[in-house]
Amino acid sequence: MTLTIVRLYHDLLGTYGDQGNAEILVHRAKARNLDVELIEVTPGMAVPRTGDIYLLGGGEDGPQSAALEMLKTDGGLNYAAAGGATVLAICAGFQIIGETLPDSDGKATSGLGLVDAHTIYDQSPRSVGELVIQPNRGGLPLLTGFENHQGLTRLGKEMPQLGLVRRGIGNGFDHKEGVWHGNVFGSYMHGPALARNPELADAVLQCAVGPMKAFDDQLAQAFAQERRMTLGGMTN
Amino acid sequence: MTGSFRLGVACAVGALAGRLSKALGRGRGETLSGRVILAIDPQAISKLSSGRDVVVVSGTNGKTTSTKNLATILRDFAGEGVSTSESGANMPAGIAALLAQSPRNRFAVIECDEMYLPDMYRQLAPKVVVLLNLSRDQLHRTGEVRKVANLWHEAFSRDDVTLVIDRDDPFLEYAAANAGHVIRVSFNGRRHPDAATCPNCAAILNWSSGDYACPCGLGKQLPDVRADKRLDGPQRNTVLVIEAARLMGAEILADEAQDLINKSPDRIHDFMVSDKKVPTHLAKNPESWRQALGDVTSDQVVLSVNARGIDGRDTSWLWDIDYSALLGKNVVCTGERRLDVAYRLSVQGIEVSVASSFSKAVENFPAGPIQAIVSYTAFQDLLTSELGISQGKSGSR
Repeated sequence: MTLTIVRLYHDLLGTYGDQGNAEILVHRAKARNLDVELIEVTPGMAVPRTGDIYLLGGGEDGPQSAALEMLKTDGGLNYAAAGGATVLAICAGFQIIGETLPDSDGKATSGLGLVDAHTIYDQSPRSVGELVIQPNRGGLPLLTGFENHQGLTRLGKEMPQLGLVRRGIGNGFDHKEGVWHGNVFGSYMHGPALARNPELADAVLQCAVGPMKAFDDQLAQAFAQERRMTLGGMTN
Repeated sequence: MTGSFRLGVACAVGALAGRLSKALGRGRGETLSGRVILAIDPQAISKLSSGRDVVVVSGTNGKTTSTKNLATILRDFAGEGVSTSESGANMPAGIAALLAQSPRNRFAVIECDEMYLPDMYRQLAPKVVVLLNLSRDQLHRTGEVRKVANLWHEAFSRDDVTLVIDRDDPFLEYAAANAGHVIRVSFNGRRHPDAATCPNCAAILNWSSGDYACPCGLGKQLPDVRADKRLDGPQRNTVLVIEAARLMGAEILADEAQDLINKSPDRIHDFMVSDKKVPTHLAKNPESWRQALGDVTSDQVVLSVNARGIDGRDTSWLWDIDYSALLGKNVVCTGERRLDVAYRLSVQGIEVSVASSFSKAVENFPAGPIQAIVSYTAFQDLLTSELGISQGKSGSR
């Protein structure tokens, strides 16, 4: 099979380097001898409905609203997610896949509704800094990233978080960070998240392709470990 | 205290503090001196600049170089004394100190940090403001490019100032939209990597022609000056600097202007490390990295990345850059965030190794030319070890 990775509007949602997540997935999939196709979706293009993994990144308020409107009109991402496609959505992208979020004027608008999450902008200072979270499933170790967001995101009662916050703000409610619901991942971690967390990259890949053999990328491991150690001497 | 007496006390005490700081080996003393001045007289900047011809230079890349360049041109062509910062100090304390040091010069050429520009613009009442460019930089501090553009847009509404801008940058065109007088320089268009949407109305910009013009009107003003499309970043900055100098009264003939453009200074410094000459680019954000990578000709390259405050604490932007210019070269990564950059290169298929220090990276190379691209504080560290002095870490970026 060919693994199809779809990078959505990275001109609009690429303010914080999250487009790197696509390159890392391609790199780690090729290391497992998978055939990979990376599709770039730019404004005006239809979103493919048969992709395996869809990626959204962080962006500024105006471009976020533009991306949301296009995704709503197109419907391709909702169609693919309903059919079980894997989604990784970071920061503005995480807000987009929720039920509600502020539009560029600050008024609540509906998101894509792939996860039960509601984002608000309150008066608290912007959440900026290193983020460390502890997942509790999938065998994931401590994950690290850099957060930079105004919105705070409350998950619905049934929605599992990606991890609990050890350092930083994360979603801003109940010490939760991100979401991992079925094959849909959301997070505030930049870095990009999959560069700093190779285990998370493999968890995303496995949602799409099933179990994979190990890939011993020493540089990736050294980088992930250096970040974990620097941010509190945690070796998990 | 009367206004002028307060200012006199502020400057005298500030100068003393600066000399003490310098004598104690705590850097150049500018920042401390300026802080003392502003603590005693919060109006010092507007008082010290009153009656002078002030030019302010701001933008993401090339501020320090362009400020020096403009000060030199005004000295040479206008034949007048010029107050300017020698060190790249561009926040209020540094600006107060440099104005206090030479209060009688007619001209002052002031480099200003992007975030302080609205406030400094009000206090300095400049005749000309040069806006070089605006792109992603230090996102943890400045927020996003659009936030800076909005700040500027709100600030520039006075009629007695002239802005000189690169109109090919939509963020600058938006920043200047309310200004009374604008000299728009065009280099015949180029795609801005951060401007997928209009800074004014958020519509998606159509870049298919290599230029932008939004239905809302942004980008539809004709340029006042058209320059060569092939100029690189430092040369484009020189074109803007020349226009500013002309507005300040310098008579620069066309061939003299061309000569200045050809000689555009860039941020390359030859360091001697372990007896080897290492031409070193200072690069601190995606745009300046792209320019530096375009200049790499040697097969041995050192990359040094830190993430201290002024470097930007988030290194994610390393993924915004295409490093294919380094394919097949011998690349060594160093600096506190060497693993961030090394891993990023490895994903692009570039062979890399890491070294624990800049000198170790250089020592491991066999004979042959070496080039380096280093982040802001890594560059400062190299300067510090070259000069053998300790340098203050604040007041300049």
